[in-house]
Amino acid sequence: MSEGVRIGGRTRSMTVAPRIVALMAFVIPVFAQDPKQIIEEVQKRSRSNSQRYEGTLEVTGAEHHVATKRWIFERLGSFGDSKSLLRFTAPPEVKGVALLIVNHPDRASDQWMWRPSIGRDQRIALQDRSTRFFGTDFSFEDLEERDVNQYDFKLLADEGSQWKIESRPKKSSQYAYSYMWIKKDNYTITKVEAYDKKGLVRTIDYRDFEQMKGIWTARTTEVLDVRRKSKTILKFDKLEYDVPLKQDQFTVEALRRES
Amino acid sequence: MILLRLISWPYARKHLLRTLLTTAGIVLGVAVFVGMHTANQSVLAAFHQTIDRIAGQTQLQISAGEPGFEESVLEKVQNVAEVRAASPVIEATVQTDRGNLLILGVDMLGDRSLRTYDLEGDASIDDPLVFLAQPDSLLVSQNLGVKLNARIPMRTMEGERTFVVRGIMKPGGLASAFGGNLAIMDIYAAQKIFGRGRRFDRIDVALQDGVSLDQGIAKLRAAVGPGFQVEPPSSRGEQFEATSRIYALASNITSVFALFIGMFIIYNTFAIAVTQRRSEIGILRALGATRGQIRTLFLTESAISGLIGTLAGVVFGIVMARAMAGYIGGLLEEVYGVAQTADSIQVEPWLIATAIVMGVVTSLIAAVIPARAAAYVDPVKALQKGRYQSLGEGENRMRRRWAMACVVAAALALVLNRYTPIFYAGYVLAVLAAVLMAPAASLWLARALRPVLAKLRPVEGTLAADSLIQGPRRTSGTVAALMLSLALVISLGGLARSSYNSIAEWMRIALNPDLFVTTAESVTARSFVFPASLGDGLRKIDGIDEVQLVRSVRVLVKNTPVMVVATDVASLGRRGRLPAVEGSTEEMYREAAAGRGLIASENFARLHGARVGEVLEIPAPEGVVKLPVVGIVRDFSDQQGSLVMARDVFVKYWHDDSVNVFRIYLKPGANGASVRQKILEAYGNQQRLFVLTNADLRNYVIRVTDQWFGLTYVQIAVAVLVAVLGIVNALTVSITDRRREIGVLRAVGGMRQQIRHTVWMEASAIGAIGLVLGFALGAVQLYYSVEIARRDLIGIDIGYAYPLSTALVLAPVILAAAFFAAIAPGESAVRGSLVEALEYE
Repeated sequence: MSEGVRIGGRTRSMTVAPRIVALMAFVIPVFAQDPKQIIEEVQKRSRSNSQRYEGTLEVTGAEHHVATKRWIFERLGSFGDSKSLLRFTAPPEVKGVALLIVNHPDRASDQWMWRPSIGRDQRIALQDRSTRFFGTDFSFEDLEERDVNQYDFKLLADEGSQWKIESRPKKSSQYAYSYMWIKKDNYTITKVEAYDKKGLVRTIDYRDFEQMKGIWTARTTEVLDVRRKSKTILKFDKLEYDVPLKQDQFTVEALRRES
Repeated sequence: MILLRLISWPYARKHLLRTLLTTAGIVLGVAVFVGMHTANQSVLAAFHQTIDRIAGQTQLQISAGEPGFEESVLEKVQNVAEVRAASPVIEATVQTDRGNLLILGVDMLGDRSLRTYDLEGDASIDDPLVFLAQPDSLLVSQNLGVKLNARIPMRTMEGERTFVVRGIMKPGGLASAFGGNLAIMDIYAAQKIFGRGRRFDRIDVALQDGVSLDQGIAKLRAAVGPGFQVEPPSSRGEQFEATSRIYALASNITSVFALFIGMFIIYNTFAIAVTQRRSEIGILRALGATRGQIRTLFLTESAISGLIGTLAGVVFGIVMARAMAGYIGGLLEEVYGVAQTADSIQVEPWLIATAIVMGVVTSLIAAVIPARAAAYVDPVKALQKGRYQSLGEGENRMRRRWAMACVVAAALALVLNRYTPIFYAGYVLAVLAAVLMAPAASLWLARALRPVLAKLRPVEGTLAADSLIQGPRRTSGTVAALMLSLALVISLGGLARSSYNSIAEWMRIALNPDLFVTTAESVTARSFVFPASLGDGLRKIDGIDEVQLVRSVRVLVKNTPVMVVATDVASLGRRGRLPAVEGSTEEMYREAAAGRGLIASENFARLHGARVGEVLEIPAPEGVVKLPVVGIVRDFSDQQGSLVMARDVFVKYWHDDSVNVFRIYLKPGANGASVRQKILEAYGNQQRLFVLTNADLRNYVIRVTDQWFGLTYVQIAVAVLVAVLGIVNALTVSITDRRREIGVLRAVGGMRQQIRHTVWMEASAIGAIGLVLGFALGAVQLYYSVEIARRDLIGIDIGYAYPLSTALVLAPVILAAAFFAAIAPGESAVRGSLVEALEYE
């Protein structure tokens, strides 16, 4: 998953980092030890006006049953005030099912699901955000972006090529805290561990990094639900940045109209 | 203990048949009590269990009666800070080829915060996204016995649809709700399938940690408004219990009556035993046994026989409950529209304890008078053989005086019958008077019968009548038991007849449309609803003159679920006005049609103490509806009572314009069958729709009434059986008691056939006396039954109609039963050794 996937309380913008890395090369070491600034830098490097990709999801259950789906993801804006639309394209039974996410810098996002088979939208309640997203190992909360100011960060370790940073949400979240590993050379997040009060909930590994339009982008994301022992692998195809998208494409009306 | 072993046990062994017959009265009484209660409780327990299992972690439920409420309420609830999880629910029962299936429509996204779906295998919801994306998805309990991807056809409001099983839940927990006949579907799909629009039945809520129920209720009430109920899930069970209260009460009364009849059989047996064992008692007294010891001996015998009978009755009752539970489940569904079956029998310890106490206490009470008589036996007189069977004139006089006192007190109670305790005391006194009068009345009737019997068979008839006249102690208990049984039969028969008469009259007025378009074959099923727009379509069909839109829903009024019937009141009044019990017919229909009042049914008014002019408060999503009762009519629509409301008012306050039933009046000359066909052709394939003719609906109502009285007939059969047992018992005693007399008869040339005839005639005479007294007491009992039904059960005055046809059927049945009951004792009388018979006593 690309920008817009938030795990454990920080905004991860894997696909935009490379473009900024060159500009920031001399400045970074000055403030690199401040975890909040590191995260801000991650955001900066992954920033783009819009984004579009076709994703393939492979969900492998505890009993090794594999379900594959495809979706188209579009995002307009960045970080705290972005809007995203995710629409399933395959298999045919789920084609047209869509999720609209409207992020807000100061509070949790608004999310609506559209189901063409019954011809109606449904608001995803805040209380339901910890639910698995359509049987994947992501939760609905993982799909929203929150502003960096909505978290407290702590640098836990300098592991040579990577920093290990802890993030704790200031507002309600299913997660109590998360650990993330950020590569020092290109400010990409390589791994996240998300915990609730009872312990580890899920881990996310980002792989197959490529630079696209100067943004370091992980083409494969693997999410492991530790408790369910199931995993989801998301692969990006046809990734584009700064594609022409309009605001009115990201409304509930458009959700209904374009089904 | 020694006396029991040396005296009682040999006597019981010697008179084993009689002992068993005596106990049979208690067995049947207890069995009916335990059986009915257990069956009832099992259905209620199953209902509670279903609620519990469905509730999961739900702490509070927000509802607004059967109509439900609009989706927007969900957001209000979710915004309450004290709420941890809030999930909307639609609950409906549908009939499938696998029986009734409870469909729970839930929001699969959030529902797992409240309910645990323990699924077979990881991929049991084959694909959660497919489950959500496809409205035909079902998640079923493994108990249903279907495989993954199995297809289940269902008639929905969108026509015939096939549903696909996309998940199997393991047995236990939620999956075991409704006996495992459970299917989960997406709530938004359920809205479409059941025609509910954008409405939910209720919202299940779990509170944040540390928030108490009271805090949660207060916050949620403030958020949703006064028109909603915010209650723990268990309240639903309580409401169902309140709804089916009438049925439970009716079965209680019958089982207590059965036990009462059993008491007389015991009394009779012990009274006879005391007279038979006079010499034994005399010897014991002569040897120094105290009165207390004699009394204790008989009471202990009675307690032991009561205990044995009770235990047997408990076992028999549990067996009976298994058979009855299914029947009661079906009955509750037909009458109250709430489907619930009990897959297992819930035997409650308190019920068994109560049954044991009741059985033993009944037995003890029955034995008190004989035990007292035994204790006061004069040892000298007891050792002399004589005419101890006859009742002393003093005793008889005393009973008559007491009976008269009871009659006077019962009559006084009738005058003051406004007060419930006085009314019931009067009822008990009336029965007591009859019981006290029974021996004297039996004697008079036996004397009256003597010439008739003598005319039929001069020798045998005279002997039979004389036996009854000379040994009233022997038969008075049996006659009393028979009288009580027949009185019960007459009252139940009378209630049934009056009910049928009243229902027929009500149907003539209230169910006068030519056709009824419904969503189910059962009119009480309200899971599916029509859109109001269908009414416009129906009006266009050739031959249809008028279409009345009816929405009937159960909502809480005065904390009881009451049926609110929202319809076009003006049209209703024009087409047929129900008889007014209070208020002006013209005015009540006018006011109600204008939305300025409610027309209450007679039973609502009585059961809830409502009067014309009283302003009722009915909670609705839009607020509390406050409307006065503008009239009271005789209406049998619902056992808890009904309120007729203008449809506009309902739509305004509930935001619900859906329809349960379209009542259709045809144009003069239009052919009903042809219009029915046109409706089916136009809409039958598009949606779930049934067109019932007037006759269909009347038959349905009669069928439900039959079902309601079905158990009554079982009770009648039990009452008759107990009575027949009493006759067999009395005759067995009579023959044993008169062995010497019969021996003498045979010794002086009496032929076996004559002896047989004597016994048969005696039995028939007991039957005839019991019939006369039973029919007389039945008339009184019926009066009280009608009153109890009116005051405390259904709240409707169904009128007094003596069931002559029942009496006509009963007469030959009882006489034949008495005759058959006499065959074995008759044979026993002629088979014994003449020498032994002459040596008897």
